[in-house]
Amino acid sequence: MNSGKTRILVVIGKGGVGKTTVTAALGLRAAAQGKRVLMVEAAGAERLPPLFERPGRSYAPRQCAPNLYTLSITAQEAIEDYVMLRLRVRALYKLVFGNRIVGPFINAVPGLQDLVHLGKIYHLEGSNKRGRPEWDLIVFDAPSTGHGLSMLAAPQTMMTMTRAGPFHENAAVVERLFSDREKTKLVLVANPDEMVVNETLDLYSRLEDRKDQVTSVVLNEFMPAPFPSTHAWPDLRHHFDALPEAQQLCDEAVSRTEAQNKAHNRIVEGTGCTPMILPFLLDRDLKLPELQRLAQYLDDGT
Amino acid sequence: MSQRILICCGAGGVGKTTTSAALALRLALDGKKVAVITIDPALRLADALGIESLSNTPQAVPLQGLSKGCTGHLDAMMLDMKATFDSIIRRHSPSEEVQNKLLQSRYYRIVSEKLAGSQEFMAMERLYQLYTDGQYDVIVVDTPPAQNAVDFLKAPKRLAGVMSEGVVKWMSRPKDKVGFRLLERSSHTIMAVMKKLVGHQTVSEIAEFFSLISELAEGFRLRSMEMIALLESENSAFVLISAASPAARAESERFLEVLQENRLPFGGAIVNRVYKAPKDPDRVPEHKMPLCPPSVDAERWREVCEAIAALPPLQAQLAAGDARYCAALADNAPVWTVPKLTLDIHDLKSLVQVSDHLKKASDHLVPKTP
Repeated sequence: MNSGKTRILVVIGKGGVGKTTVTAALGLRAAAQGKRVLMVEAAGAERLPPLFERPGRSYAPRQCAPNLYTLSITAQEAIEDYVMLRLRVRALYKLVFGNRIVGPFINAVPGLQDLVHLGKIYHLEGSNKRGRPEWDLIVFDAPSTGHGLSMLAAPQTMMTMTRAGPFHENAAVVERLFSDREKTKLVLVANPDEMVVNETLDLYSRLEDRKDQVTSVVLNEFMPAPFPSTHAWPDLRHHFDALPEAQQLCDEAVSRTEAQNKAHNRIVEGTGCTPMILPFLLDRDLKLPELQRLAQYLDDGT
Repeated sequence: MSQRILICCGAGGVGKTTTSAALALRLALDGKKVAVITIDPALRLADALGIESLSNTPQAVPLQGLSKGCTGHLDAMMLDMKATFDSIIRRHSPSEEVQNKLLQSRYYRIVSEKLAGSQEFMAMERLYQLYTDGQYDVIVVDTPPAQNAVDFLKAPKRLAGVMSEGVVKWMSRPKDKVGFRLLERSSHTIMAVMKKLVGHQTVSEIAEFFSLISELAEGFRLRSMEMIALLESENSAFVLISAASPAARAESERFLEVLQENRLPFGGAIVNRVYKAPKDPDRVPEHKMPLCPPSVDAERWREVCEAIAALPPLQAQLAAGDARYCAALADNAPVWTVPKLTLDIHDLKSLVQVSDHLKKASDHLVPKTP
């Protein structure tokens, strides 16, 4: 998944399917390979640090494990960052953005908040220390489906809206990085729930010309089949009539297995990717050992 | 009888839209006249409700086949953002000229879809319209997909802030007033900085939009106040739709905090996809297992028996995990659970199956009138 040239992995998918977990597992995986990895959260989220027992959020990179760092962006911080880069005078920033009236105005510029998120990642990607890139890989835990898509489209939205001028030029550089097929890859996260698969395939089709940036699909929370030959269950089940509760649990487990296999096949047919499967974990308080276990399932073939 | 309003909030991926629809269906089957406003429902749910496209017009859901002698009624609709925003513009515009300019503004077309908080504001606007029409006993509102349940509560104030007169007053501040000279200078600086950042044309377009919308500002402000009053009233109840997960607990705490801060009424929490505890949580003992029938391969039989023996303890473990999270929510409020269902919601009958689990919730949220 992280071939040599990949600089950014964008993790997208429906809300609640485990994007943050997958982000953490991908980060751990790459860090274990000796890469210096930064995991980025959007909209001031602070879900990654607690997984590493380092609660709290920070706009500056913060180490959470060997070779592994977290960072959380808010639009406000990113806008200040951007403006400071252009104006270089903090007093001017304060005059403009500290203004009670102008604040809402700036927030109303469509796509600006999304764009500055990508802008911050653009800067992180380009940051060098001692003549080499500061980060070998950035894993971005993107907002869920619709918002995630509009964030990816934000540079183009801005370019259409402004037509020319500084925002236009800035959006164009950001757009170039995020549509670079070698540098930026997308990871789609789903689980075997039918509605989630529907939405994931819909998301995939809405990616349009970004489809070939999809490097893998992760199918999360896969329950193991109760036994290998589940297709034989209908013929066997009457033998268990004396154990109605166990029989019903088995009915459910078998139909779950069938639904999961169907979900798997639909993903393969719809995206052309064979999904990477993450097992359902009984303990939902995920901590480092569980994440490390999940990371091993994300075989990237390198 | 006064109308009851149920607002279903929750993070993305917890089954908010389905739960809203099922709750509304339950109330209708119990004889109430109900409307449900859904936002971006999954295609099959929309099919099940018989609402195929965006429409602000209530569509009657055919209940006749579901329950004999049902006296209730269910109308469903899929929020049409643009149509709702357009209707606000039409209602509040002081003149036809302002109205046409706004509706044709390139910036308005972008804004009406993307402005932060506008989807939430439109959902409330539609709710308010239905409320004032006064045709229903209960109105159930699904809320836009959000990172977390609290986003919905904050959105209308945010939008009202953007639409406030402040921005425009500042932009079109009279230049001849001596007293404003100092402020004026800083205003010019601000404008210059913004033009440097955003580009001249964009700033002008946005400024024009705001100066037009300012003519509607008073209408917006009054409407938001009426909406807030309605939400604060005892006719309304906020329902948290949640899941059994570690994240849900923290979210529920924040949600309740924000409700309290804003003096908004809390109805309770519905937790979806909860594993049901088995009656007997122990492994099925070997002596209870049936003997291998002669037609079945012994090795395969062993696999099946081993799996079946292990299922009750596994189920018990899953259920215990869920119960722990539900208990964590229960400190603060009534909590209703909906078991994990292996059904695919594609027609009304399957939605009725979901709604059967919401009986207690609906009885509590909309008490029977004596």
